[in-house]
Amino acid sequence: MLGIATTLTSWNADRTIPIKPPRATYTKLGRGSTIGRPNDIAQQRRVLEATLALLGRDAPLDPVFLDEKV
Amino acid sequence: MEILENRDAWTTNFRAGWLATAEATGKLDWKRYQRPANAQPVSGKAVDLRASRLVLISSAGAYLPASQEPFDAPNPYGDYTIRLIPVCTPISAIAYAHDHYDHAAVDADPDVLVPVRRLDEMVSAGEIGALADDFISFGGYQPDLGQVIDVTIPAIVREVKVLGADAALLVPA
Repeated sequence: MLGIATTLTSWNADRTIPIKPPRATYTKLGRGSTIGRPNDIAQQRRVLEATLALLGRDAPLDPVFLDEKV
Repeated sequence: MEILENRDAWTTNFRAGWLATAEATGKLDWKRYQRPANAQPVSGKAVDLRASRLVLISSAGAYLPASQEPFDAPNPYGDYTIRLIPVCTPISAIAYAHDHYDHAAVDADPDVLVPVRRLDEMVSAGEIGALADDFISFGGYQPDLGQVIDVTIPAIVREVKVLGADAALLVPA
């Protein structure tokens, strides 16, 4: 996009990986809880920090799978 | 680089399959819907997040009911418009017009889909340079990729430029 760096996190690797985004993390959190469980600040921070950390690397990157679930 | 590499073929399939079935019968036959795929990954240079202005882009259907029209969530053909929401907006002032996910989690804690508070904490900690003044919102139920490419993405790009963002975090619902 625009030449600016992008990153994303998705609970749906099967649908997202085929699009080949430049940087992405994948979880098993599920629809409606993309960043983490409600009020689980620690989990939300883990997901965000891992996803945003990818911005510091040239793309494309291989998919990054996080052990995060609801 | 094309957003969707095989757009013409995808469009032909969409019009003859899913869309034709929907218009003829009123039924949404997802077995006739071709999921998008690309062969070439998107490339791009790294950025230093600590020196970057980050824009959040969410497909949760967030909008401001006091001043904005909701997304057309019940529309089986999708809504391709966007909304801008100031990141300083009280979370209680944000509503969600999107019929394709359970709102229980986002109603309990909006950061599960619109993580403005978590990102603001990271700005305060020096992990992110700054947040763009607004986050960009749309409803992620958008079956017509042609409209996504021709309407939604250009609108988002225009706003990202205005916001002066160096980097974007995309959060699909």
